[in-house]
Amino acid sequence: MRQIAIYGKGGIGKSTTTQNLTVGLSEIGKNVMVVGCDPKADSTRLLLGGLAQRTVLDTLREEGEDVDLDYIMKKGFNGIRCVESGGPEPGVGCAGRGIITSINMLERLGAYTDDLDYVFYDVLGDVVCGGFAMPIREGKAKEIYIVASGEMMALYAANNISKGIKRYANRGGVRLGGIICNSRKVDNERELLEAFAKELGTQLIYFVPRDNVVQKAEIHKQTVIQFDPDSNQANEYRSLAKAIEENKKFVIPKPMSQKRLEEIFLKHGLTDKNLSAV
Amino acid sequence: MSNMELKCEKESTNKTKKKKSNSIEQVRYGCALGAMHTAFAIPRVIPICHCGPGCVDKQTANIAFYNGFQGGGYGGASVVPSTNIYEKEVIFGGEDRLRELIDATFKVLDADLFVVMTGCIPDTVGDDVGSVVGEFQAKGLPVVYAETGGFKGNNFIGHELVTEAIIDQYVGDYDGPYQKGLVNVWSLLPFHNTFWRGDLVEIKRILEGVGLKVNILFGHESGGVDEWKSIKKAQFNLVLSPWLGLKTAEHLKEKYGQPYLHIPTIPIGAKETSSFLRKVVDFAGIDKEKADNFIKNEEKKYYEYLEDFSDFYAEYWWGLPAKFAVIGDSAYNLALTKFLVNQLGLIPASQIITENPPEKYRAAIRNEYRHIADDVSTDVEFEEDSYVIHEKIRNTDFGHKPPIIFGTTWERDLAKELKGFIVEVGFPASYEVVLSKSYIGYRGALTLIEKIYTTIVSASA
Repeated sequence: MRQIAIYGKGGIGKSTTTQNLTVGLSEIGKNVMVVGCDPKADSTRLLLGGLAQRTVLDTLREEGEDVDLDYIMKKGFNGIRCVESGGPEPGVGCAGRGIITSINMLERLGAYTDDLDYVFYDVLGDVVCGGFAMPIREGKAKEIYIVASGEMMALYAANNISKGIKRYANRGGVRLGGIICNSRKVDNERELLEAFAKELGTQLIYFVPRDNVVQKAEIHKQTVIQFDPDSNQANEYRSLAKAIEENKKFVIPKPMSQKRLEEIFLKHGLTDKNLSAV
Repeated sequence: MSNMELKCEKESTNKTKKKKSNSIEQVRYGCALGAMHTAFAIPRVIPICHCGPGCVDKQTANIAFYNGFQGGGYGGASVVPSTNIYEKEVIFGGEDRLRELIDATFKVLDADLFVVMTGCIPDTVGDDVGSVVGEFQAKGLPVVYAETGGFKGNNFIGHELVTEAIIDQYVGDYDGPYQKGLVNVWSLLPFHNTFWRGDLVEIKRILEGVGLKVNILFGHESGGVDEWKSIKKAQFNLVLSPWLGLKTAEHLKEKYGQPYLHIPTIPIGAKETSSFLRKVVDFAGIDKEKADNFIKNEEKKYYEYLEDFSDFYAEYWWGLPAKFAVIGDSAYNLALTKFLVNQLGLIPASQIITENPPEKYRAAIRNEYRHIADDVSTDVEFEEDSYVIHEKIRNTDFGHKPPIIFGTTWERDLAKELKGFIVEVGFPASYEVVLSKSYIGYRGALTLIEKIYTTIVSASA
């Protein structure tokens, strides 16, 4: 069983990418479970066709600890198993503790069965406390992929998250598997991401192009492969799934200084047209 | 104190929950971190607490000091190292501080095993304690960890978190043959049950008397960590309490394939103790004759004393109580109720269990009270709020004689109010200084009888 955690700046496309790529994995016969680690509980909407999901924490609050696993785990598109941790509304409580409690409960209820090939943890954007690192504690996710784009703040966040990853990687088995670019059609995006990944000591494992069909599918509460299986974008996600499946490059990231990050932007983030303006 | 209206729904299914009062006055347990006592109850084991400043003091002052003035022993109370978490650790995480403390502890304190325990703060902010402790475990150092954030429950819940942590991280795996006649005993909650030290000694004595080899696990007659390491070799586990220890026994069944015998009533007095011993001997499949000889001998000595006592019981002119109330944790509550009804012939007026046992065990516990004797059936209530408890006792019919209350320091004023008698048998027992006294088994029953009737006769002077 490969346990994979997906991190990245809030709104960058982690949930969208995770759901689309897991459908790609399910198509090649893999048994997948997606665990949403975000109090918004929106990590499995496209797989389940809506946000009807009972969250682990709501269930714990209302029913107590003795519940059946199928109360909180639903099968979505292509039999992908879906769990949402849930958590407090904005502005109250402690979502980080919620993630800890939720993942512990999943372990206790026996969600991690031997027949699973993949478990994906979709973790909320800004890893603001120890609780959100629960998926990468020892014995859980061994691989991390950071979703980013060519935007300054996306890479800044990716670099910042790498500091946390490095801390856990230094003392345990978790490693960075690569950067997934969720394109925003920024100038020179691919070169920029490749340079960034190289500086971080990792690889740009896949470049997912921007395509409106993603939005259309989302509005229909579906992944692209389900909504438009013959589209180019569907094939991109299939290729991303293949890249993850075949990936062997796992590293301890080397987060860079702010200065260095800005240098990379200056070097790769501007085309010839803009350079003259500098 | 205001009058509060209690809305009670009959518990018709497991899902129906009784609506509780809004507060708990005069608390009857500690938080999950209070299970640090479980750690230092094992000889030469010391807990290391990763918690705020004051947590260790509060738990030990309550459970080990103002409860029988038991003291912390080798590795408890003021010996316990604490990270004394400060705002810095809340914001930036406390892992570095914990690592520093564990390092320092190994240099300063001499113990066979350290148990790192967490309080509310590290469990909330997400300190990866397992990882920090893992660094030391990787060097082969004897340290385990349990996540016992106070909000997880009371110290009864914390107790099994600690026992399971030691089993999983220290006792190790085992595939070999079991040792016939070796039994692990999971019984009273150390320190919380005020007389646990003497009680466990008596339990060990009588089980050894019938021919078993006993891992008593806690207290002065435990072999410490070596004994814990031999848990895996035991033939079976004995859960001697209404519910505490069942989770651990289930875990051991899964881990080592050990069967367990569950006896909810801790035996007090010859009738219950002999019956208890025979059940255990049966289950273990050991020599019945040897066991019977021991039992006969113990009974002979016991009844000789009771024979002496019968003069007083029959002839005392100035009135002895007939009806009793027991207020306390389920272990002592059930044990006492059975003894008082079956051997002293007293009448149960009110029984209230106060440690909030998990819902799933309550039906079985109620059943024990319904079959307390061949001809006596009684009810038990589950309450934690002292205001509610005291109101119930005030409204209980004790007949025309003064009531005798087996309870805690919280019931002292109530006993005075009702012009009755009080025997402190559980947490908090702040008017008892306890060393090796026991109320369990053959010997303990005699001490208990002495205590009860001394209390009664000395009330008149």
